[in-house]
Amino acid sequence: MIAPRALLHLLAWFSPGFPTGGFAYSHGLEWAVAAGDVADETGLLAWIEAILLHGAGRSDAILLRAAHAAADDAATLADIAELARAVAPTRERQMETLAQGTAFAAAAVPWGGTRAGAYPVAAGALMGREGIDAEHAVLAYLHGFTANLVSAAVRLIPLGQSAGLRVLATLEASILAAAEGTRGAPLDALGGACFRSDIAAMRHETQYTRLFRS
Amino acid sequence: MSAAASPSEPLQRARGLLRVGLARRDERTVLARLRQEGCLKARMPRPDPGGWTEIVTMNSSGGIAGGDVLDSAITLGPGARASLVTPAAERVYRAPPGSAAAALATTITLGAGGAVEWLPQETILFDGALLQRRLSVRMAADSSFLGAEQVIFGRTARGEQVRSGSFTDSVRIIRDARLVLHDAIRLGGAGGEPIAELLARPAVAAGAAALATLWFVAAEAEAAVGLLRAALDGAEAGVSAWDGMLVARILAPDGAALRRAVIAGLQALRGQRTLPRVWQC
Repeated sequence: MIAPRALLHLLAWFSPGFPTGGFAYSHGLEWAVAAGDVADETGLLAWIEAILLHGAGRSDAILLRAAHAAADDAATLADIAELARAVAPTRERQMETLAQGTAFAAAAVPWGGTRAGAYPVAAGALMGREGIDAEHAVLAYLHGFTANLVSAAVRLIPLGQSAGLRVLATLEASILAAAEGTRGAPLDALGGACFRSDIAAMRHETQYTRLFRS
Repeated sequence: MSAAASPSEPLQRARGLLRVGLARRDERTVLARLRQEGCLKARMPRPDPGGWTEIVTMNSSGGIAGGDVLDSAITLGPGARASLVTPAAERVYRAPPGSAAAALATTITLGAGGAVEWLPQETILFDGALLQRRLSVRMAADSSFLGAEQVIFGRTARGEQVRSGSFTDSVRIIRDARLVLHDAIRLGGAGGEPIAELLARPAVAAGAAALATLWFVAAEAEAAVGLLRAALDGAEAGVSAWDGMLVARILAPDGAALRRAVIAGLQALRGQRTLPRVWQC
């Protein structure tokens, strides 16, 4: 069971209307679509699933869990924030996480605010301080992350809204697996394998026509 | 495997410890300290003019097996410059059942105005290999680090794929006491997706069996982004520059194609300097 107040917090902080600016970032999907790597619903599903299980979804979940656990320990949070900044594998991916974290912290002021920094650290610290269960925190964050990527791809490919929603519904299993797979994972377990997603984010930097900032 | 080994004997695990200290003396980088234990050795050919020297580190155990522990630390004093190379590809064999992962740790410490190149030959992971590798670079604000790592998943010439096994590889760069990059790779492992299936995913490697990463951290690193992009044009690669660093990832179907791309990238970043001899064939 989730406490009613915790549910309200999560609905507010991870609603598409919460101004983190997520709509501006595609996490390299804009290049992957242009290159033909992500061309349809099936391709999109596979691409995001890999990111959740073996890429930034997993890494962010580990960082968020660590920040959640250290919410009342400023020195440890500062170390986690430094690590989260250093884990970003490309310039635009670092900007994506730092800009969203900064925007999240600014938007969270009515709830008492949180530290700025990489997005999973800003979000994890707030949710830890407000006593939100770590499992709920990770699921809400990963769902927001996933919904944002799906939304970007729906505009880029383009896909119909119902196709996008089918992808989001199917990815619930991957979100749960990513949360489950990071339970108890130490920061030392950070690491991924989404090399072509990294290359896509790097190539996006010189992409001629761009709608997204990453 | 030695001819004397039989299945009933306990497995021999290799241990190696290497400590190398380098110092700048006038126009040369010289060996100030050397400690070698177990299977790790270092050789220093005649120093080059211009302050650069080459250090060849060797693992005499004939390849990496499960449970091996190799620990190297290389320290460069102010102004010292060295290229760290290995004489041949490092093979990582299938680990026996119940074996721990081989643990390889390397620490490089760079003093003020120092420069180091970390340019080992490729690592070849056999099916069933278990490898945990860490590279930690601590550098003064005005020092320079260029690194390249190549990993080949399976003996591609014979069509081998890495089905079981695990590989974790972390590179941590601390410049001026601040962590600037934590580049961590993680594939396979208990309960994880088999490496060949993971590599087949389009967001991972789309079936490529060879991966390289280049890192360049130096005052001039970000300005070299265009040069490196041009050098890797045509390869399946990406290049990014931020926070005073340049990072490239390269994928290729096999080790030979990967090596060609890595050499092109290194030549773009090293200007007129010729590559160490082991890279020239």
